[in-house]
Amino acid sequence: MSEKTLAPRPLPPRPMSPHLQIWRFHFTMFSSIMHRITGSAAIGGVVLIAAWLVCLALGRDTYTLFTQYAASPLGLLVWFGLSLAGFVHLTGGLRHLIWDTGASFELKKANALTAWTFALGIVLTLAFWAVLFATGKVTL
Amino acid sequence: MSHDPINRSAQSWKKSEKHGAGEWLAERFTSIALIPLVLWAAYAAFTIAGTGYDGALAFVSKPFNILAIAATMLITAWHMYMGVKVIIDDYIGKPGTRGFLLFLTFALSAAVVAATGGALWLVYQGA
Repeated sequence: MSEKTLAPRPLPPRPMSPHLQIWRFHFTMFSSIMHRITGSAAIGGVVLIAAWLVCLALGRDTYTLFTQYAASPLGLLVWFGLSLAGFVHLTGGLRHLIWDTGASFELKKANALTAWTFALGIVLTLAFWAVLFATGKVTL
Repeated sequence: MSHDPINRSAQSWKKSEKHGAGEWLAERFTSIALIPLVLWAAYAAFTIAGTGYDGALAFVSKPFNILAIAATMLITAWHMYMGVKVIIDDYIGKPGTRGFLLFLTFALSAAVVAATGGALWLVYQGA
């Protein structure tokens, strides 16, 4: 009779991840979100590069029309943002590949690696544009 | 029942729920391959910038560059499909909505590959 009450109760529904409501803010959580945001933003760059290739293949007139927009101040701002997303996603990917090996997984090392990879992504972006402007290949 | 959280056999615990190991490896393969490819793409963008239609056409017409662009865009399309799929799987619970968004993501990736392939073929024919 009492066996029924001793039977194991069914487990409650298992939680889904990640639980955004109960997460305390921390640096590696921010970087994880940023990796998804920069990756998603970089898709815009991929689509624009594909569009650039198509315009090139369609001939001089189409290509000139594309570069008129692409080389305008607003176009350059868009390219800058996309390159920032791309470079930060690249160095963020590097961070995740390092973590995949099990290295730098301790809290302090993980935070330091995150800061360094963010910095490297930003430095690569600024260096890329500095060279483009310094060589006169891009002008405002 | 593999979805019974209590009565799973030891064997079923050892298996990925669906095919996680293959996806995990594909994510890493594309990530590692994209490091040199994206750096090359940045070099290519630097080389092409400011050279106009003739300069861009001359660069893209070179066989090595055609292969490099094709490889970069193909692996990028694969990588971005897997990346967006992870986000959709995490946040979209309704199977119908999830399936539809996954289809859109696949269509976008396929469109990028088709557009790149078509454009490179046209440039190659003209060269």
